[in-house]
Amino acid sequence: MDERRSALQINNIEVMYHEVILALKGVSLEVPQGGIVGLLGANGAGKSTTLKAISGLLKHEDGEVTEGSIEFLGQRIDKKSAEEIAGLGIVQVIEGRRVFEHLTVEENLRVGAHLRGNGAHLRRGLDAVYHYFPRLKDRRDVQAGYLSGGEQQMTVIGRALMARPQIMLLDEPSMGLAPMLIKEIFEIITRLNREEGISILLVEQNVKLALATAPYAYVLENGRVVMDEPAEKLRENPDIRDFYLGLTDLGARKSFRAVKHYKRRKRWLT
Amino acid sequence: MDLFLQLLITGVMVGSIYALVALGWTLIYKCSGVLNLAMGELTLMGAYVCLSFYTWGIPFPLAVVGMLIIGFILGLLTERLFLRRMVGESILAVIMVTVGLSFFFRGIVAFTWGTDTRVFDPPVFPAEPIRWGRIVVGQVYVWSFVAALVMLVVFVAFFKYTRWGLSMQATADDEMAALSLGVSAHRVYALAWAIAFMAAGVGGTLLGNINGLNISVGYLGLLVLPAVVLGGLNSVPGAIVGGIAIGVLQNLSAGYLSRFTPGGIKEIAPFAFMVIILLFRPYGLWGWVKIERV
Repeated sequence: MDERRSALQINNIEVMYHEVILALKGVSLEVPQGGIVGLLGANGAGKSTTLKAISGLLKHEDGEVTEGSIEFLGQRIDKKSAEEIAGLGIVQVIEGRRVFEHLTVEENLRVGAHLRGNGAHLRRGLDAVYHYFPRLKDRRDVQAGYLSGGEQQMTVIGRALMARPQIMLLDEPSMGLAPMLIKEIFEIITRLNREEGISILLVEQNVKLALATAPYAYVLENGRVVMDEPAEKLRENPDIRDFYLGLTDLGARKSFRAVKHYKRRKRWLT
Repeated sequence: MDLFLQLLITGVMVGSIYALVALGWTLIYKCSGVLNLAMGELTLMGAYVCLSFYTWGIPFPLAVVGMLIIGFILGLLTERLFLRRMVGESILAVIMVTVGLSFFFRGIVAFTWGTDTRVFDPPVFPAEPIRWGRIVVGQVYVWSFVAALVMLVVFVAFFKYTRWGLSMQATADDEMAALSLGVSAHRVYALAWAIAFMAAGVGGTLLGNINGLNISVGYLGLLVLPAVVLGGLNSVPGAIVGGIAIGVLQNLSAGYLSRFTPGGIKEIAPFAFMVIILLFRPYGLWGWVKIERV
């Protein structure tokens, strides 16, 4: 981990849904200021839950952080409401391109600036979003429900940008998009990080892409962090190569005959 | 033909009042998913508050403004005291709370203002009707129409152009996404109730000017249901058009059908109409169609 001050720090949190279902069992992670950190894992590993615990959206799904703490720039936030957390500059882009379908693109963006008032900031914010996503400028008066998938993803990222985030929590921005678009969107994410200094916590199922974008990553499994290492080390890790990247040592595709997954288990918790 | 035009015009004018109340109803439904069965009692509260101000000698426009302020506060309070703790409970439970609210408000009205019919005295609008050719329309209708129209324009502009208006629409569209941007859902719900209270209050006041005010004005609360079903439960333009359509329908059926029936057709027609709409267009005319990209 690099030596910069940490923006976000999660200390051993436990999350419960409906007071019975334990979704996270001791997750700790850290996002340095101005850094990009990846959060990897299979379906149901607890990636989205981790993001919701940070952004406070968990409380609206009857979930709760029952143990541990979440700190943002040294301030505890795990007991704060979603709007307070957004006010501090932590904005989650929730999974699945959730645009406000019946509003136009520009109205979507204006809702993004909800906490920042109407005046000069709004103008500046819109300019910035149209600078990063020129395509949205052409589509500004279109109802967001009728945009293409890529444009919708741009709209929700742009909308989050309007909230002036210090840290963005991105939940699977590549989901369901064409490879070309994924490339474009990830380039913009990297630029937002570099040019605007926004720290990013990136949840991704596309591990190859995530490890190319984030210099450091955590791997979640069954609600636990099972690995955290710099990206280049993770790329070399035989388990990651096998289970997430689908590569053998030679980089060739595996033959089904060779797969004896019932014999070899992921055993990271020694 | 004259009779038809006459009925049509007064129908549109009364209908605009329904439209106003229906808009308030739709707003609560859209933003918070609460099916509000206390709408009629909200109109009663507003109307009686305005009447009280007026009988104390406050000029009518100021009395309306006072009523709007009180309605706003009552709306916030209603949400805070009764509905906030119901967030996340089953739909049926929330509906029952609104039924309870309707009895509660009705009780307050009967207790405070009595059950006799009260009128705005002296009359707010001149009794002299306006004539266009052979069509005669009471001034109270014309002014009610104008007032309802102004309110509708103000509300629609509020949703379209202000920060909170947009955030309310956003919450209606996708509550989780709105929350993630720092929009407070509780405040949106509270605002929806406040606006509904104000819209209902104006509606009730206008109706009170037309027919006099008693507990049966609360019947309006049921009448908005066919209006919003016609328009599509969660469409604001739908509620407006639906309200006007119901007003027209009511008037036409009163004019043409009442001589064949022992009376009451005016009250029944909107509901018969609602059943037919539900059979053929369960989403109403402008109900939200989920946008599917293919």
